[in-house]
Amino acid sequence: MKEIKIPFQATISQSAISLPRYKKEEYADTQSISILIGGAAGTGIKTLEKLLSDTFRRSGYFVFSTNEYMSRVRGGSNTTLLRISNQPIQAPCWYVDLFIALDADAILHTKERLTDQTIVLADESVTDAQIAITAMPMMKTAKKLGNTRYANSYVAGLLFGMLELNSDMLLQSIVNVFGNQNQEENEASVQEGSLYSQSLQILPLPKFPESISGLINSFHLIDGSSAAGFGFLAGGCNMITAYPMSPSTGVLNFMASMSGEFTLLVEQSEDEIASLNMVLGGWFGGARAMTSTSGGGFALMSEAISLSGMSETPAVIYLAQRPGPATGLPTRSEQGDLDLAIHSGHGYFGRIVLSPGSLQECIDYGYLAFELADRYQIPVIVLSDQYLADTMGMLGKIDFSTYEQRRYIQSTDALYDRYQFSDSGITPRGVPGLGTGIVVATSDEHDERGQITESYQVREKMVEKRKQKIELVTSEAHSPEVLGQGSIAVIGWGSTKGAIMEALNSLDDPRLFQIHFAWVHPLDPQSLKILKQTETNIVIENNVTGTFADILKSHGIKIDHRILQANGFAFFADLLKEKLLKVLKELS
Amino acid sequence: MNHPLDRLDIDNAWCKGCGNFGILKLLKKVLTELEIESKQTVIVSGIGQAAKTPYYIDTHMFCGLHGRALPVATTLKVSNPELTVIAEGGDGDMYGEGGNHFIHTIRRNPDIVHIVHNNMVYGLTKGQASPTSQKGFQTPVQVKGVTNEPFNPISVALALKAGFVSRVNIGNYAHAKTVLKEAFLHTGYALVDIFQPCVVFNKVNTYKWFKSNTYELESTYDSSSLSSAMQKALENDPIPIGIFYQAESVTFEKHFREDEKEALFSLSHDLGKLQEKFELY
Repeated sequence: MKEIKIPFQATISQSAISLPRYKKEEYADTQSISILIGGAAGTGIKTLEKLLSDTFRRSGYFVFSTNEYMSRVRGGSNTTLLRISNQPIQAPCWYVDLFIALDADAILHTKERLTDQTIVLADESVTDAQIAITAMPMMKTAKKLGNTRYANSYVAGLLFGMLELNSDMLLQSIVNVFGNQNQEENEASVQEGSLYSQSLQILPLPKFPESISGLINSFHLIDGSSAAGFGFLAGGCNMITAYPMSPSTGVLNFMASMSGEFTLLVEQSEDEIASLNMVLGGWFGGARAMTSTSGGGFALMSEAISLSGMSETPAVIYLAQRPGPATGLPTRSEQGDLDLAIHSGHGYFGRIVLSPGSLQECIDYGYLAFELADRYQIPVIVLSDQYLADTMGMLGKIDFSTYEQRRYIQSTDALYDRYQFSDSGITPRGVPGLGTGIVVATSDEHDERGQITESYQVREKMVEKRKQKIELVTSEAHSPEVLGQGSIAVIGWGSTKGAIMEALNSLDDPRLFQIHFAWVHPLDPQSLKILKQTETNIVIENNVTGTFADILKSHGIKIDHRILQANGFAFFADLLKEKLLKVLKELS
Repeated sequence: MNHPLDRLDIDNAWCKGCGNFGILKLLKKVLTELEIESKQTVIVSGIGQAAKTPYYIDTHMFCGLHGRALPVATTLKVSNPELTVIAEGGDGDMYGEGGNHFIHTIRRNPDIVHIVHNNMVYGLTKGQASPTSQKGFQTPVQVKGVTNEPFNPISVALALKAGFVSRVNIGNYAHAKTVLKEAFLHTGYALVDIFQPCVVFNKVNTYKWFKSNTYELESTYDSSSLSSAMQKALENDPIPIGIFYQAESVTFEKHFREDEKEALFSLSHDLGKLQEKFELY
């Protein structure tokens, strides 16, 4: 047998990897402006978002953008929110400063988000009995230049004119986004828009943020799906097998886009059952495999999750949540699948559920998912949601060389037993073809060799072995992130992190502080002690009952208030602030 | 006499006289004659009496879920192309519960040998109809007899242009050995559907029945023609056995990595390149 070396070889006796904790973002003197763009799918709303994010970023601003869209290819009414700031922004707002309506439906769809101060820009053909609209000859000008597609650059030009920004950056972005094709027409369109802006009689605009200019170059504009993808690749992922399903498909697309650069198998499976079984086949053979899905697809994976637990084959599952039950709202957001993630699969076995709350955490926990699956030989679920997956924001410097590589694979000898009992419950994992031992994976209850057994004595020991693994994972579980200090804990998990952070900053109440869980299962009771020392605990979750609050309660944590929602949106920082204010009033 | 491929100290769960014993013996014989190293061989199976085969032969094994052997076998082969990968199970496992995977694995064409024990009945769940049960076959569930059209794995595989499509009868051992050997020598997905009797639950399709209702494809038969293969596949009185069709094409793992054969676990990881990609954002 020829000698094969395992790079980055590691064993369970090495201490678990911890992640760096980042300093709280500074929000003092934050200036930001919000721009909402509304229109039908396929009318250029995405292009405008791309163009404006690119150009505001070039102009030295932090950009945040998020969209809400209908589950259809063309038509409907969708919006994209852009927030431009001098500080990193990590949450959407409901009320907006500026609204660009690309058609009449957009106004109907968005009315509730407009205030007396909102400037509404729309094509001159659009009218509304209640809303004051600043009309622009958008379509006429675009047609004059030869194609309605130039409406995008016209609107951008108009916006830049209104905001009195230098249009050079915009012209550069136009080349960047559209390429050199029709550059002249687009430029002319920008000029027309800019020119028209000077004739506009509009309300005073909110103070525009100050540019941080060149400093912005050290930041990266990235969406949650791509950030998670970078995390998975940092974790050594070399195989993804998945069935497309919104809102998880962003990760599948990202990985496919990287498959030419890395040794990375990307295979579209026939169904989600195949997806996860393929993941298990991959890990069994020594690959580092994952799948991506949403609630409905994940439900189909239940049996294979159970197999991962029983056969002690690692697995990584990226689960981007959308509102259910059944097909639910395919393109919208909710934190409704936590219970499903924790309890899916029959029988008793360990698993880890991670739920990143920011772009940084998408990378960190994407990476960690592979490390943990390999370390404990269990399924690891990365729980994201539509909001986090589809949202773009800015991320600081990442040094990938700091993401420690470990491979918990061992060469086997003739005496090797795949399920040998050990103090930790972990048996070193062999792979076929490495060494002289026989490597097995068994779905039936088995003895140490992996042979089927119905001996009740062996059964008891094997149940104990799998339980020991859970105890080990729990003892090495990451504690929640505590941001600030006070007597009232505002608790969240996953994608609510940014909205809670912004709401608390805006409230500036010394009693309030934030506790964020990115490691949501299993919880180490030791790390929950802080929640027994607070006066009041408020849990914020994007689901109808407060799933995580119930879990905390089962650990003996007192839950005083739950701020919940299940309407398909993520939490908006400004609305959340209002809700928190109401809760605080009830308290005093 | 022990065979070197015997797994020692086992508790075999098959009934006396079961056709599975013949298939186990056949598999050991073929692996030995082809000098395929047991430590480089993995048998992936699902659930059922046939799917217990890997527990009785001393190779690596992945004994997973009912119907799900093929997706596991596919990515296992990609993870380490140097392994010989076999997916093995019964007709219910592979054609019923795993029917969707049967279709799509053929389309992928991984270099694996797919062995299906076809006894036209469910054994482990005690005697219900299988997808290949013949019309009129009475069971405790199909009390009036099977009314569904029997699943024809040969014609389905041919419709998907599977690279190696064969059927044998374990009662015709010498012929079965020749065909199974060819399946291992074929590069790409190879189906070997093996007729075997269930001595407990199928009193119709017995050793004797299989013997008198099958015939070997003529030595002049041309296995390179898809259309004549399809014609043969639809014959059922008597049923032809042998290699219906054979044509090699690029395998799934070759589409992934054309030249490299190293196991994925032996590869390093280029974080520098990842950094480069990230800096583009």
